[in-house]
Amino acid sequence: MPDTEIKDAIDQVRSATQQLHKAISDAAAKRGGAVTADLQAVPQMAKAAVDSIRGSMAAQNEAARKRLAEAVTYLEATGKHAADGVRSSGKEFQTAVRQTIADARAAAQKVSEAVAATRTEGSTQSARK
Amino acid sequence: MRNYIAVVFDDTTKAYEGLHALWQLDNEEAITVHGTTVVHRNDWGEFQVDSKDTHPALATAVGVGIGALLGALAGPAGAAIGAASGGAVGAVADLNRADTRDQSRYETAWVLRAGQSAVIADVSEETTFPIDERMRILGGTVNRRAWSAVRDDKWFDDRSLYPYDGYLSPYDYYLYPYEYVPPYSPWWA
Repeated sequence: MPDTEIKDAIDQVRSATQQLHKAISDAAAKRGGAVTADLQAVPQMAKAAVDSIRGSMAAQNEAARKRLAEAVTYLEATGKHAADGVRSSGKEFQTAVRQTIADARAAAQKVSEAVAATRTEGSTQSARK
Repeated sequence: MRNYIAVVFDDTTKAYEGLHALWQLDNEEAITVHGTTVVHRNDWGEFQVDSKDTHPALATAVGVGIGALLGALAGPAGAAIGAASGGAVGAVADLNRADTRDQSRYETAWVLRAGQSAVIADVSEETTFPIDERMRILGGTVNRRAWSAVRDDKWFDDRSLYPYDGYLSPYDYYLYPYEYVPPYSPWWA
């Protein structure tokens, strides 16, 4: 895969995880706590991000791949906690919302670390040329 | 290298310009931004952190956590920085360094003075020049400390500082993974 496509792929993944966190935290803030309807879309969003990562992972360098693999774990947890939230109520629901936000934040963190790893490699290669 | 930075501005509007400039630098691939927020200190010395207020416990914990981060950013060089800027509080804080929450309160007193705002960020940067230069143009002062050094601080593991049982540090929850500016803030005035 050409360098520009590798960069575009990981940038898209980053944008997807940022949007996921934004959607959940916006929903929680607006309603004084996310409602079930807000959480229902999350597992699908998380799965789309996971699929996107898996599609681009092979082309990344080792450091980026490691971070992306960690991001997948957090995204899967994001989807699971959101699904748990949909099936729960009261305190359990609030706990699920908090965990969903935390997992989405962790996923975004790991993806941005992967981006940094990709950029570091890019700048090292540029310096060698 | 990965660093936590606190860019201090005398003007709130400039602080948001600084926030935007950081994400612009990320977009230009000069740096990678992992998370940002803006902290304000009013004329009475109270902290306010830009937040979506997703959790009631956050209101208190944010202030404490960010205070700790600002204190951690000061690090062992706190006395020197405080003395250089004429702030006696910094020197006192460093002499009394005890890894307590009170410490962060004292250390941040000179990192962020009353009436100032600071952009707090977790960044990966190859050199310090892009951030330093862009912030200098905007009138900001960059305080920087290695991410690993901050992580080694004792208070970093103080779970009482943040409301979530999760996987990240307290600070990571306060730093948004994208450019977040509150739709309305009294600090805009």
